[in-house]
Amino acid sequence: MEEFIASTVRTSIPLTLAGVGALFAVRAGIFHLGIEGLMLAAAFAAVGAAHATGSVMLAVGAALVVSAVLSYVYWFLMDKLGADSVIAGLGLTTLCIGGSAFFLDAIFDKRGRLDSPAGLPRLVRGADSGLGAYVSELSILGWLTPVLVLVAWVVLRRSRLGLRIVAVGTYSDGARAAGVDEQRVRLQAMMITSVGAALAGVELSLGGLSTFSEGMTNGRGFIALAAALFGLLHPVGTAAAAMFFGASEAVGVVTQVQGIDVLPRPFILMIPFLLTIIAVTVSAVVRGRADARSREELNIDQS
Amino acid sequence: MSRYTAQDGTVGRGLVAVAARLLPLAVAFGLSFVLFAVSGFDVGEVASGLLEGSITGKGAVANTIRWAVPLCLIGLGIAVCLRAGEFNIGAQGQMQVGSLAAVWFALDWDGPKPLVILVAVLLAVVGGAVWSGLAGALKVGLGADEVITTLMLNFVALQLVQWVTTGPLKDANTSGDSASTSRIDPGLRVQGSGEVSVEVLTVTVLVAVGAWLLLERSPIGLHLSYVGGNSAAAIWQGLPMARVRLIAYLVAGGLAGLTGAVEVFGPAGRVVTGATPLLGFTALVVTVVASYRVAGTVVAALFFGGLQAAVLFLPIVSDLPVSGLRIVEGLVAMLITARLAVVLRRRQQQADPAPVASAEAAAEAG
Repeated sequence: MEEFIASTVRTSIPLTLAGVGALFAVRAGIFHLGIEGLMLAAAFAAVGAAHATGSVMLAVGAALVVSAVLSYVYWFLMDKLGADSVIAGLGLTTLCIGGSAFFLDAIFDKRGRLDSPAGLPRLVRGADSGLGAYVSELSILGWLTPVLVLVAWVVLRRSRLGLRIVAVGTYSDGARAAGVDEQRVRLQAMMITSVGAALAGVELSLGGLSTFSEGMTNGRGFIALAAALFGLLHPVGTAAAAMFFGASEAVGVVTQVQGIDVLPRPFILMIPFLLTIIAVTVSAVVRGRADARSREELNIDQS
Repeated sequence: MSRYTAQDGTVGRGLVAVAARLLPLAVAFGLSFVLFAVSGFDVGEVASGLLEGSITGKGAVANTIRWAVPLCLIGLGIAVCLRAGEFNIGAQGQMQVGSLAAVWFALDWDGPKPLVILVAVLLAVVGGAVWSGLAGALKVGLGADEVITTLMLNFVALQLVQWVTTGPLKDANTSGDSASTSRIDPGLRVQGSGEVSVEVLTVTVLVAVGAWLLLERSPIGLHLSYVGGNSAAAIWQGLPMARVRLIAYLVAGGLAGLTGAVEVFGPAGRVVTGATPLLGFTALVVTVVASYRVAGTVVAALFFGGLQAAVLFLPIVSDLPVSGLRIVEGLVAMLITARLAVVLRRRQQQADPAPVASAEAAAEAG
């Protein structure tokens, strides 16, 4: 049971960070398929910088900068050159998959993996067994995650920027009419997303084993995007969804380790994706009904 | 106004459009080669390696065609969906479901070779069509965003492959990322790896001709363009929008499923967990590069097939890591829909202001 909880928490931290970041892009109207790549690039940048300098601070800084620069390029292609967000986003992810492996070879002359001499600091130390041991494994970023979720909530719901992001994503004509610079707001949303993705990449690489391995995100960025959607694009909902996704992976791990054979592991791992499909469908139906009702009230002809 | 209409019209405008498509390719290759050079790799070696691996080397052309075939088959299906304005990015999963159906039948059923292959191929087509049609029905019937559902279904399909290759059809000698099903009876295979078979080429040519007839010469093709291009006009015309869009999903999924069967009876001979994880994505790039055109898709499939073939050859002549070519592919995808050539595009802009609008429509996820 302890192992199950620990495994759930461990898996859910990077998913939460990336998912909460992703929801800002989605709220601004960009379905950010590049987030998988941003996470991977950030993980690589962090380990690369730590390997070169030995400094964890510089590692985090490098991850944030790389993620921000790539996000800016993505935004520029979309908003200034009219690139398609879905195709360019998948391209960004492919670029990062290729780029991280390429630079691993070109800069560090390594294949497959690179170790970091330092990892993220841990707040609690000491306990060797029981739940205490699992708690002391948590990185500082893990402890900070709940705080960041709450900050994201406040930013989204209470700040001018958050309200503008939501306005641009849901009713861009109205936002424009109110004098909001849509492109600038989208850029700001993308920058928030880039921070979430970067921290998720740092946690993934320096939070546990302090190593980077090729393709180590392994779809986690896409899963984080799914968590954001499943969490109804709310920071707390996203964190809960990430926790749930983490739990279903933990169930798979624990049942395999203990030899319990309820359902083959792949089927357990499928559940989050199937639930996301259901959640997206249900929210589309609800939204569709609401649209139809307001159309009726405003007496707008459907065609 | 749909995006591909920019390709219609006079020959002069057609040439401009082709140039506008080639420019992002050139920029992507240019940037990548600058990067390779800066990183200290011999660019001449890389270029000659690419050429040798895809065209001039021994068996290179066969290898190029081996990879062009799946890209072409999947890409043509994606073209049908994109023309209808449907962003089906689930080809990878649809292909995998198709290959699972094919390999299951080929392993579990005995019978005359043509019959087994025929039934397996049909099952694969149906499997892919169901996988795609599921997302299509949710979109057309209930409005669920297809980018999300098809992406999620890719992951579900990946887990299905994982289950089949480690469970029911497991080959005991494999595990992890290379976990695979048992190999099918060699007598059933129409093509070994690195070969080109008449059967597979015939199927591909037939599919290409069929796709051309469907898109350019049939009422359905016309309807697809209306539905994807100008849905208000389509409603005014009284077109069966829902049915047309669903057909697009079924065709795309069916062709992806067919590709899965071709892989099983052709070059792969089995299903491997970690094999070709980016094939569906590359096929999407192929289709977009070709502006959803049939002939263009065939040409682009050959081009990217050559790139894929060279990936496997390059390590022999150059020390460039194969990941370098992923960079090229990623850059192509990032740039291909961008209006790089503002000069080239300015002439078209009145006719085709749509890319931004439709991109945003696709992105309106939540």
